[in-house]
Amino acid sequence: MSPLIEMVGITKTLKGQQEPRVILDGVDLTVDRGESVAILGRSGSGKSTLLSLIGLFDRPDDGHYFMNGRDLARIPERKAAALRSAEFGFVFQRFFLLKHLTAAQNVAMALVNGQGWLPRRHRRARVLEALDQVGIAHLAKQRPAKLSGGEQQRVAVARALVRSPSLLLADEPTGALDTETGNLVIEVMRAATDRGCGLILVTHDHAHAAKMQRVLSLSDGVLT
Amino acid sequence: MIRLSGRFRSALIIGGQGIRSRKLRTFLSMISLFLGVLAVVTVQAGAETAKTLRLADLELHIGKDGTRQMYIPSMPDAMDAALTTVAGKADAVGVMGYQAIIGEPNVVPINQGAAPFDNTDGGYYGPPMQMDCNPMTGECRPIKDEQAAQPTRGQAVELVLQGLTGDIRQFRPFRPVAGNWLDFSGDPSYSPRLVLNKEAAKGFTRYQIPAEMRVEGATANPTPRIVGVVDDGNSQPTAYVRVDEMRNWMPKTTANQMYGPGMQLLFAPTAGETEALVVRKITALGVSRDMLHVETINARKDIAEELAIIRWIFLGMAGLVLLIGVAGILNVGLATVGERVEEFALRRAVGTPRSLLAGIVLAETLLTGLLTAAAAIGLGVVAIDVGAGLFGSRVPQLQDLTFPWQAGVAGVIAGLVAGLLGGLIPAIRAARIPIATVMRA
Repeated sequence: MSPLIEMVGITKTLKGQQEPRVILDGVDLTVDRGESVAILGRSGSGKSTLLSLIGLFDRPDDGHYFMNGRDLARIPERKAAALRSAEFGFVFQRFFLLKHLTAAQNVAMALVNGQGWLPRRHRRARVLEALDQVGIAHLAKQRPAKLSGGEQQRVAVARALVRSPSLLLADEPTGALDTETGNLVIEVMRAATDRGCGLILVTHDHAHAAKMQRVLSLSDGVLT
Repeated sequence: MIRLSGRFRSALIIGGQGIRSRKLRTFLSMISLFLGVLAVVTVQAGAETAKTLRLADLELHIGKDGTRQMYIPSMPDAMDAALTTVAGKADAVGVMGYQAIIGEPNVVPINQGAAPFDNTDGGYYGPPMQMDCNPMTGECRPIKDEQAAQPTRGQAVELVLQGLTGDIRQFRPFRPVAGNWLDFSGDPSYSPRLVLNKEAAKGFTRYQIPAEMRVEGATANPTPRIVGVVDDGNSQPTAYVRVDEMRNWMPKTTANQMYGPGMQLLFAPTAGETEALVVRKITALGVSRDMLHVETINARKDIAEELAIIRWIFLGMAGLVLLIGVAGILNVGLATVGERVEEFALRRAVGTPRSLLAGIVLAETLLTGLLTAAAAIGLGVVAIDVGAGLFGSRVPQLQDLTFPWQAGVAGVIAGLVAGLLGGLIPAIRAARIPIATVMRA
């Protein structure tokens, strides 16, 4: 069975500074369906840069990036947007919930994004299903201001899961949460891997990393 | 197609959410734009209303657009042929002008020369010049005042009498004021029935006028009956009468001599056959075709040219006011995009294409423009309703005044254009926000 994603010889250099700085230097990475991978590394080691390349926020300077056998290293932005919508789910350290929308509307944001159209009834069902997966369906009508940090992050996870992505990318999702709440969020994301969704977790927290199937370390632009 | 539709709907939904979440800002944008859109609506409504009123006045004075006017020279046989040809026709009317005095005999009319009653002493409506003509040589000379008979002024009014072969209102839509219009269906009466215009009615209201009518060339003085009053837009006292009721009192020989300046025929645009028949009959009498002057009324075109310049000047001024509103929307739009950088970056991260981000911002400004246009149009409708109610009794043309649809369309276009112009730059900025913003946050 082919892997979900495969990165070969990925390099990325930060330009625009006095001297170009190599952030990723020939990174190879493979993630299978339903696999969970943790990436550890110091601040500035390039973890977030790697995540932005995997999530098609940016493109590598060199190397190949395959997803389902298709090379995405030079994919145009229009197609990248469609792939971000269909294949990826994102969870960030900050929750990025829109305060004027309810929890359900925040989750629905990933469905009302111009990539196809779902009738309102179907949208509502998908949103409630996603909120149920993270255990907060009862808070669907609450606005973010009424939710705790953990609940807000779970809404963000539901937003990432609502399109049933192939790969969940989490960039330090527990950074703003206490340990107990952080554990809860990690468990929610891990549960998604049981349904076949891949998970890449970028974190500083070794305890959270240990819960993943594989733990990788990024140092000096090299992933080991 | 489905994809476009999805993007369009998404833009509307998200744009609507944006407006609801920033009500105060939307309201402030609307205020800055309101005067501009209102100016455009007002100019357009004013221009259309002025055009309608001017057109209504011209229709009263000259006739409806497309009406063919033919002037028959003052030749008795030609006029007789024209009259008999158009008599009883539904699509053509002959108009013969007479001068009539109604009231006491042997007195100078109150408004000599058929002058308006508020201007009986001045203007060009003075007494007709008295001439002494030599029947042998045909030479004429003016009679000095002291030689002319100087009867005293008495209870009599002088009118322009328009003898009609049919209902002229199909060509000149007189507004009914009181009573009835002339009935052309029955036999002519020996007591000519008159419909007065408002100025003539003023004379009969103001003075005690005996019902005796003197018309030059008549064998006797008939007793007229006033059956109605109309507004014909004419400031000169005028009465309308069936031409056959006048001709009862005029033997053919006399009538032929008294036709004066000739007659006018009015033809509907569909009356080509009748017009051609009149021309054939008259030219058969030896009248040259060149002497039959025919023209088509095209008042709409005339006033369109007349009003176009004024309209463009005012639209230019309205455009400047609108531009200020656009600057307001632009300012608020840029500030809003600046505040929503993270939201737009996040939307891109979840797969929203750049074009939809631009569409969201444009949808918000376009919806704001439309809401403003609706408010301006609503105010315009109310203002015209109130204005027509308040001034309709004094200015009859205002009674039927309605908000012109062209002004509504102009308002909507102005709102959309302002929304588009004001939202364009913020939309481009929103589309260019890098996704990495969410990673760096």
